[in-house]
Amino acid sequence: MDATQSLRYFGPELVLTAAIMAVLALDLGLTARGIERSRWPGIVALAGAAAAIGSAVRLLRVPAREWLFGRMLVFDGFSVYFKVLLGLALLAAVWMSLGSREVRGQPNEGEYFTLLLSSGLAMLLMAAAANLLMAYLSLEFASLTSYVLTGFLRHNRRSAEAALKYLIYGGVASGAMIYGMSWIFGLTGSMDYAGIAAGIAQLDDPSRGAFFLALVLVLAGFGYKVASVPFHMWAPDVYTGAPIPVTAFLAVGSKAAGFAMLLRFFHFGVGAAGPVGAVTRVPLLQLGTLLCAATMTLGNLAALSQQNMKRLLAYSSIAHAGYALLGFVVFADAGVQAVLFYLTVYYIMNLGAFWVVMLIANATGHEDLPSYRGLAWRGGALPALALAIFLFSLAGLPPLAGFVGKFYVFGAGVERGLIALVVVGVLNSVVSLYYYVRVVKTMFLDEPRAEDAPVHFALNDLAAVGLLSAATLVLGIRFDWLLARVETARRIFAG
Amino acid sequence: MPVTTAVFYLLAAVTLGSACGVAFGTNILYSAFALMGTFLGVAAIFVLLGADFLGVIQLFVYVGGILVLTLFAVMLTHRIDVQVSNRAVGRLPGLVVVGVVATWMIRVARAARWTEGQPGPPAATTAGIGDAFLGTYVLPFEVASVVLLAALIGAIVVSRKEVKG
Amino acid sequence: MPPGAPLTWYLGLSAVVFAIGTVGVLVRRNIIVIFMAIELMLNAVNLTFVAFARSLGSMDGQVIVFFVMTVAAAEAAVGLAIILALFRNRETTNADELVTLRWIVLLPAAGVFFHVFLGRRAIAAVKVVGPGLVGAAFAVAVVAAFRLRALPEGGILRDHVYTWIAAGPFRADAVLRLDALSAVMALVVTGVGFLIHVYSVGYMSGDRGFARYFAYLNLFTTAMLILVLADNLVLLFVGWEGVGLCSYLLIGFWYEKPENAAAGKKAFLVNRIGDAGFLLGLFVLVWTLGRHGFWTLDVAEIERHLDVLRTATIGGWPVPVVVGLLLFMGATGKSAQLPLYVWLPDAMAGPTPVSALIHAATMVTAGVYMIARLHALYALAPAALTVVAVVGAATALFAAVIATAQTDIKRVLAYSTVSQLGYMFLGLGVGATGAAVFHLVTHAFFKALLFLGAGSVIHGLGGEQDMQRMGGLRERMPVTFWTMAAAGLAIAGVPPLAGFFSKDEIVSSAFREMPVLGVVGLVAAALTAYYTGRLLCLTFLGRSRLSHEAEHHVHESPPVMTLPLAILAVGAVAGGFLPVPALLGHRGEAGAPLALMALATGLAVGGLWLAYQLHVVHPAVPAQVAARLGGFYQLVRDKFRVDELYDAVVIRPLFAAADVAARGIDPKLIDGTVNGTGMLVAATSGVWRRLQTGNVQHYALFFLLGALALLGYYVGR
Repeated sequence: MDATQSLRYFGPELVLTAAIMAVLALDLGLTARGIERSRWPGIVALAGAAAAIGSAVRLLRVPAREWLFGRMLVFDGFSVYFKVLLGLALLAAVWMSLGSREVRGQPNEGEYFTLLLSSGLAMLLMAAAANLLMAYLSLEFASLTSYVLTGFLRHNRRSAEAALKYLIYGGVASGAMIYGMSWIFGLTGSMDYAGIAAGIAQLDDPSRGAFFLALVLVLAGFGYKVASVPFHMWAPDVYTGAPIPVTAFLAVGSKAAGFAMLLRFFHFGVGAAGPVGAVTRVPLLQLGTLLCAATMTLGNLAALSQQNMKRLLAYSSIAHAGYALLGFVVFADAGVQAVLFYLTVYYIMNLGAFWVVMLIANATGHEDLPSYRGLAWRGGALPALALAIFLFSLAGLPPLAGFVGKFYVFGAGVERGLIALVVVGVLNSVVSLYYYVRVVKTMFLDEPRAEDAPVHFALNDLAAVGLLSAATLVLGIRFDWLLARVETARRIFAG
Repeated sequence: MPVTTAVFYLLAAVTLGSACGVAFGTNILYSAFALMGTFLGVAAIFVLLGADFLGVIQLFVYVGGILVLTLFAVMLTHRIDVQVSNRAVGRLPGLVVVGVVATWMIRVARAARWTEGQPGPPAATTAGIGDAFLGTYVLPFEVASVVLLAALIGAIVVSRKEVKG
Repeated sequence: MPPGAPLTWYLGLSAVVFAIGTVGVLVRRNIIVIFMAIELMLNAVNLTFVAFARSLGSMDGQVIVFFVMTVAAAEAAVGLAIILALFRNRETTNADELVTLRWIVLLPAAGVFFHVFLGRRAIAAVKVVGPGLVGAAFAVAVVAAFRLRALPEGGILRDHVYTWIAAGPFRADAVLRLDALSAVMALVVTGVGFLIHVYSVGYMSGDRGFARYFAYLNLFTTAMLILVLADNLVLLFVGWEGVGLCSYLLIGFWYEKPENAAAGKKAFLVNRIGDAGFLLGLFVLVWTLGRHGFWTLDVAEIERHLDVLRTATIGGWPVPVVVGLLLFMGATGKSAQLPLYVWLPDAMAGPTPVSALIHAATMVTAGVYMIARLHALYALAPAALTVVAVVGAATALFAAVIATAQTDIKRVLAYSTVSQLGYMFLGLGVGATGAAVFHLVTHAFFKALLFLGAGSVIHGLGGEQDMQRMGGLRERMPVTFWTMAAAGLAIAGVPPLAGFFSKDEIVSSAFREMPVLGVVGLVAAALTAYYTGRLLCLTFLGRSRLSHEAEHHVHESPPVMTLPLAILAVGAVAGGFLPVPALLGHRGEAGAPLALMALATGLAVGGLWLAYQLHVVHPAVPAQVAARLGGFYQLVRDKFRVDELYDAVVIRPLFAAADVAARGIDPKLIDGTVNGTGMLVAATSGVWRRLQTGNVQHYALFFLLGALALLGYYVGR
């Protein structure tokens, strides 16, 4: 489909681009009039994100499956589903930012929202990219904006250091990725996934070595984006150093976009020609299993001893990338469905957890576990309750949403015969319970000490948290609706 | 040996030598200048491969832009950090790793059957590239411009000095 | 086939470049070099794409390279920005910079151990080690100062030695801090201190306690450096007490002479009074901050929590004023201001180089430094600053008046120091912190020079200190004369010598803030010129009034003494051009009005001229003037009889009370216990017994050495 025709299916991206320009122009106008610390850029950004979601939701009903822009992007249920999810992540990040002490009222607030929206736009593109060039470009776009957002706290050395670490890791990972892509281009003569799939089908035996190398390099780039072991090293520092809304956005949005790319590339570009491994004879399954097990285990083990809540959630989100990878390793539609479901649930509970952490940081100025001591008994009963729900859900306890998510992922694994990997996953869930419960215990069972000041929360701050915790509860019991959505979205367009 | 082969060897030697200078040099300024050698070598190879326009752009973007930025970074930070700047853990093991990795990669690359087309006679590529930007590659082209805009804003946000407060 | 070589050769080339880039990323530690390595990787990518484009005969590969280049450019821009932001943010610095600061303190401290344990057997080594270590500390300080200059403005070098106190919520780390202010001070202490050490090698040669003297001198320098480099007020207090103790040791160095021992004791006692105020101030400060949850005395932390202090009150008084006044009380003790100045003139009983060290580089500047260090706190307490300014101006005038009538050469200089310190406090009080520290630096040069010169004269005359029995020494001691003349012109404020600039900045600031104090400053300046001129005239000019014995003895000092004089003279002449206020970031203070400069110059030259007229041209006149003034002259000559007043009002009642108290408690019990312990220890250890010989000062010294050993243990751990 050519460019003009494609625009019909390009609504969310266009809306976001318009919103970016609007925020930028608004900020310029405000600066020209000497107005600082206005809340309008944030509100416009919020409206932009909401409009993008609306546009994406409208596209959910369009059954078409199309190439867009001369085989750069595709339009299918899978991409639209991710666009809705990423739009929601963006909306939540903007909303959180409006209530964050680290962002609101800071200089450069307008640019912050511009960059946040740009990052969202980049992730939408990642979800739809079906061309190695677009994949590389959109991934780098998302990375570049994330670096800056991470380093936004300019008087915080930790923030700048995290940004730098992120940048170095990102630069190396994407450099390796594009090198691998160049070899895939050389082997198949094509950059779009359909062409690659066709090229792979004709690969001869001696070329397998080169293809394997290229694939590993590409996997490094994707693995960095979803923060999978061993490409996860940037995540703890970045999650700890960045402003909390950015951390939440990276943990939820960036990871989801990475998974969208990963799934599409391996199910369409590599896997479309037939069962993985049969055609390419690359030990992809073994490689994926190894990554998945390592990611789950390392993430959970490292989280055990954390005292800083942001860091704890950082390692926890690495572990959750591992659970989601289990669905990826299944290499079948059932796996895709499980990943989609899991990412949605993960979006709700992880975002909620970060949101509460931000509210508590706003109220107490601290992010470390001791400052949560007896939180429930000194004015923070509601946020403590919400956080407990999110953490129990992250741990995968029934009847919460996290349990259902894990159930489907593990179920897909069992169906595929990956029993050992599922056992590792279940053991990991048990281990993870320990550190989640530790936080809950600190909040509820520990007595507040004399120096722990009472905290106050405005009710409207708690609205979003309440919404998310309600969703966590409801999705734990009535998930058939979400399952139906995922069902339609799981089929990835394949040329 | 045809002239072009000799030229290829010469350019390859320049590129590799300067690349080693970048990665293993003892002085950060030498590294920066060695990087320029690599950029120039690669640009010349582009011309050799018939990508004359790309060669010129390589000069503009890498030598004129990125290298100058890098030198700025060196100048602005090195007076704090000159000595520390050039710590390297093991140059020799590093070279060995380069050797092993590169040998493996070359072996794999030689074994593979790369797709080949019918290379036409060398012609000016400028017009073709321009057409591509407004045809097949119109979306990446637009996205790239947004990327540059975001990078610009980001760089300003991060490095701008506080005006107030 | 692409031109020149097959496709795989091009791929191989790019593979090697890629491998080099990857390894470069892994191997290098510098961020910018890692960046360059990433560019190598991307260039390898570009190379493959172009090669494939060629072999495929399509344009796509080339187009893709464009996008890779775009991303590379964007990445470079963002990366550079982040690196710059990071480097702007950095407060602390990396490991090898950290080491340097502690060496500034440890080097002189090592000297103390050397002199105590090996000194008596190796006098020759002491001559090298004593000054050498201080010189080395100076070198380290210079290096550190250059590192500091390389940092962005307001940068700080810090060296975390160890966590020292962690008592409940309160925490004090032994952290050394080098910022513009402490760098200036460290350079003065080590630089001028080094010259004084060198001079002492000549001055003290042949003295029985040569090694002991250098041990004290190094310890003194160490304590002062701890004070200067301390990052928190607790550590600062350690140095504060340390210099007090050392001054006691050094002033009473020749403890056989009873008046020296008394002078030492007096210095110690008066300082204790001031220290009590200082300690109280610290308590109020830590209590106030602690009440708001900030259990710290870090200078930076205090500056961060000024908001808390601004509104806090204690007993109805604003905390900044209370703390400011209490700390200032400590400063009046240490820096010899009214009313606690009395110890300093007596303190010249010690060896002359010690006087130079106390008066110029260390000890007395501690109070000035402390207030400059806490200027942010004082800025919250204008009332306290006014007190500082008034006390400073009053002391400047009062001491200058006394100095005009003294005949002992060192006593003139001692009162001159008191007066000059008054100027510094005047500067601090009117908010001209930079000017005050500037004056501190220039004063260090010329006052050290004056004392060392006076020492040279005394040395040359075989111990004569009375100026009435000197005169005409210009030809006999030319180097001493010319260097001292330079110092004299500098302190008198003759342009363009050092004292002119610093004093002028203080006086002009005073005129801007409190004109009355400015006038006082000008009057004191005129008196300064007069008594300096009087000192030079009586000593070096006119006809010789030497005693027969001294006439026979007189000689120029050896080069080891005159060389430091010459170096200091350079400082006294050119020190005014040091950009000290600018270094400290107090640029607004420069530029005194031209009229004021002319007036100050006129007063300086006038004072000198008057001195020359009275004491060289018409030597009979002063006696007539004195006779005409009668009682007042006598009063000035007797230093306004302040000592006698204190003796009657404070000392005697105090001792009487102590006597009563002593009688009330069973003296046998306490004395018996102490003596018994002493005997037991003495019996068990021969070494200990040897160490126990000597005098009370040794106990104090070993107490400090123990503290230093503990410090050494933690550092070496």
